[in-house]
Amino acid sequence: MMALRRTMLYLPGNNPNMLMRGHLFKPDGVILDLEDSVSLGEKEAARTLVRETLKNVDFGECEVTVRINGLDTPFWKRDLEEVIPWGIDGIRVPKVETPQDVKLLDEAISEIENKHNLPEGKVQITCLLETALGIWNAYHIATASKRVTAICPGGEDLRADLKTSRSENSEELVSPRRMVVLAAHAAKVDPLDTVFADITDDEGLRRETQWVKQIGYQGKSVIHPNQIPIIHDVFTPTEKEIAQAQKIVQAAKEAAEKGLGAVSVDGKMVDRPVVKRAEYVLQRAGLLEGGE
Amino acid sequence: MKTAQAGTLESMDCLVTASAAERGKGIFITMEGANIARFRDSILKTAKATLQELGIKDVVLSIQFNGANDVVLKARVEAAARTLMGGEE
Repeated sequence: MMALRRTMLYLPGNNPNMLMRGHLFKPDGVILDLEDSVSLGEKEAARTLVRETLKNVDFGECEVTVRINGLDTPFWKRDLEEVIPWGIDGIRVPKVETPQDVKLLDEAISEIENKHNLPEGKVQITCLLETALGIWNAYHIATASKRVTAICPGGEDLRADLKTSRSENSEELVSPRRMVVLAAHAAKVDPLDTVFADITDDEGLRRETQWVKQIGYQGKSVIHPNQIPIIHDVFTPTEKEIAQAQKIVQAAKEAAEKGLGAVSVDGKMVDRPVVKRAEYVLQRAGLLEGGE
Repeated sequence: MKTAQAGTLESMDCLVTASAAERGKGIFITMEGANIARFRDSILKTAKATLQELGIKDVVLSIQFNGANDVVLKARVEAAARTLMGGEE
């Protein structure tokens, strides 16, 4: 069954309350954050707390990733050493700019996996592309290691690098978002969107989520539990969509069994891309095995 | 006196302050917080076990307790003690 990544909830790494309860809000994934939500003086305390949380908390069905500090800081290797041995699904790494960054990270993870007799290659990498250079290199970053399973455009850091600021409709992020989604699908990894910062603007969140879904994103990073149901609602197929998809997939199956190439549903001819899309709807609804 | 802190005074957390002690003075722990009497034994046990794991024999710990569970308490004691010993950052 394909792993859903509709919502990935950031949990501040030095906040026990959020670290231990975040998964109870039922996001598809949690991101235990050692980077931006942790001040410089709290890095050691957060790293220790995150490690102990990983050792002791059952996150249920949630995908568990840890956002480490950037590769340009003195912290990232210690971050990896503390969290890799404890069964995490992946690492989220900020400000990736080149394929070489990914290779460096890949090697460091492999070294720790080997040291702890863990299966090599299990820990996945999500790359945050938060600079113009990172966005430009998106495809090469996404294909730099088999560990990379998702790429995300940045928000505020990217705006700063683009020497612009936040506009009402985030016009400044339209092109970067489109570049990342294209690169991700070309590389067969998940495109995941950046956070929606205004936690009081539910309608704005819904509009933005609908737009990123429409251009091909698979999910969104989340900074507040209240955002989860809205994003799930947008990314989860409706009953009507599911019923139509089931009809199409069934018709395609019957046609294949009869050796027919063409399929007709409700009087309309249905071709292979439509069947593929219907299968994808059923995968998203958890009704069909498969997916990438 | 050299000290190091880890944690916060937020709910479900504790603030641990570790201070250097002379060699041979042993471990001295003080604690305060709501309902502290109920949790005193368990806090002492976790704090001492954590220090033992780290091989620390002489230290003064002050724990301001606000509902931290064992996992959090262990993490806070370890982080404060490690920082005090100068191993980090």
